[in-house]
Amino acid sequence: MWRITGSLNMLPLLVGAGFAGSALARFGDASPFLGSLPVLAVLVLAGVVVGVVPGLRWRRWRYEIRPDEVDLQRGIFWISRTLVPLARIQHVDTRQGPLQRQFGLSTVVFYTAAGPNQIPELSTLVAAEVRDRIAELTREQDEL
Amino acid sequence: MSSEKHLHPVAMLVGAIKTLRRWVSGLVLPGIVLLMSQGFSLWTVALFLLGLLVVAALAALWGFLSWRATTYAVTDNSFRLRQGVLQKNERTMPLEHVQSVDTVQGIIQRAFGVYEVRIETAGGGVSEPDASLAALDRGAAQTLRREIEGSYKARPEETTGPTVLRRLSTRELLVAGATSGQIGVAFSLLAVGSQFLDNFLSVDFARRLVDTLAPNWLMVALILVPAGLLLAWLLAIAGTILAYTGFTLSREGDFLYIKRGLLERREATIPLSRIQAVRISEGILRQPFGLSSLRAESAGYGEDEGVSATLFPLLPRDEVEEFLAGAVPEFAVVPAIEPLPRRSLRRYVFRATVPALLVCVAGLICLMVFGSALWLLSLLLLPPFATYGWLRYRDAGWALEGERLLVRHRFLGRKTTVAPRRRLQSRGVVSNPFQRRVQLATFVAEVASGSGGSALRVKDLDAGSAKTLAVSLGP
Repeated sequence: MWRITGSLNMLPLLVGAGFAGSALARFGDASPFLGSLPVLAVLVLAGVVVGVVPGLRWRRWRYEIRPDEVDLQRGIFWISRTLVPLARIQHVDTRQGPLQRQFGLSTVVFYTAAGPNQIPELSTLVAAEVRDRIAELTREQDEL
Repeated sequence: MSSEKHLHPVAMLVGAIKTLRRWVSGLVLPGIVLLMSQGFSLWTVALFLLGLLVVAALAALWGFLSWRATTYAVTDNSFRLRQGVLQKNERTMPLEHVQSVDTVQGIIQRAFGVYEVRIETAGGGVSEPDASLAALDRGAAQTLRREIEGSYKARPEETTGPTVLRRLSTRELLVAGATSGQIGVAFSLLAVGSQFLDNFLSVDFARRLVDTLAPNWLMVALILVPAGLLLAWLLAIAGTILAYTGFTLSREGDFLYIKRGLLERREATIPLSRIQAVRISEGILRQPFGLSSLRAESAGYGEDEGVSATLFPLLPRDEVEEFLAGAVPEFAVVPAIEPLPRRSLRRYVFRATVPALLVCVAGLICLMVFGSALWLLSLLLLPPFATYGWLRYRDAGWALEGERLLVRHRFLGRKTTVAPRRRLQSRGVVSNPFQRRVQLATFVAEVASGSGGSALRVKDLDAGSAKTLAVSLGP
């Protein structure tokens, strides 16, 4: 019953980072040479943010649905791991923003009495599968 | 028992006063404007009084009508409330969804010996009760309560009423007020008040005052600051007395009953099965005397003090265990607390001194720019902040005993939280690069509380034990 599936691409994040980078770049052009320094710095930073970070984040995001628990692991610097017993889950949603729809991605959100947890940017098919699986396992847990 | 019942007639009065208050607050401003513009002739005053009379009469009529329209009934497994004069409104609540039944006695209700009954269900708003019956006499209130609570669990008939677990004595009440640490709240109140005064004192007056006092402003500060503190302290005591006079905690079967209040008597019921976690907090003023207060986190239960209900406002630390064993046995543990590893002390001290360090750096820069040695004084900030960090390190810890998780930490006061493992909604381990370098991690567990959750957190415990903790607390 062990099933590990890597989560799909974080394209929205990438697009967002691109926007932020270009917005920052506009403020740099004061004196010809000195003014271009911050632009360059921002560009390098944007390159890192756009080119490297999403890939790393994507590779680090792991989820695993076991018969009795959901296990979430994520983060590059702040590595965090969260365990949620299925018996505590109250309901499950899938969500899709406009940008996500463009790329055929969805987010699965499940709620405990203490608040929501999410698995972001799964492909819509996988997300539906994950949602149904969590719902079904939760029901089984409740019947025990 | 399923017949429709009316409220006690005093409900008319309560309703009337409520409407009156609402209307008057809307009318006061136009009324005053009218009075001012016309001058105080006999005519306008008479007109004003007449208007007031009419409004009062209307309010009384409205009170009567809404009393006549309000009925309630308890049928086999639901509570039904009908309300509304013009717009009829009927509300049905399944009894198994009722979280708590509270009775409150305001000043009017007290004068007539009746009770307001509030019924809360899970998911209701925090500020407004889901159903509120303005006035019921004692018998009716008791019957209603029995009927609703009876449905939680079939109760043996021969129960002999709730047993009183503990009462707050007058001495304890005063001590609780004196050490409540609500001084901050009272102080901000005071600040608002003084600002209000400022608007009234003319600038001219203020200038003259300053002129006369300016030479010895230090004196003024020396007098004003302690006076303000004293006043704030007295206000805090008064607030505590208002809220907690006659605090009584009793238990019957699976229910806790809490009675408290000086002017407004409150009676709350907490089913034991709804308590998610118990917090033992020792404020900075209380810890030196070995005192603490207890509160319960409970799901879907809103009261004025955040979302957690006070279980007992003042209790000597060494009696806590005994008290918990009597009141909420599921939470009664005070096991040895596992301290944090030695290497996390450095992180705690560093975290606490960051603000002081920033000030120091700024001070050093100023020293270089202005050359005045006075800036070196900023270095004096370091020791107290470091001590604070050390205190936080010393008091942080966790324990796992059987089915219960216990977490202790300090912000200002020291707080210990006990939560049974089956109440934990999720567990997690977070670590950042600096923590990973020395194999430390932060452990977080969440319990349900109010409409959201509240977190139990231990910073910088050994990464290995954090992981074991997170995994072993699983189902």
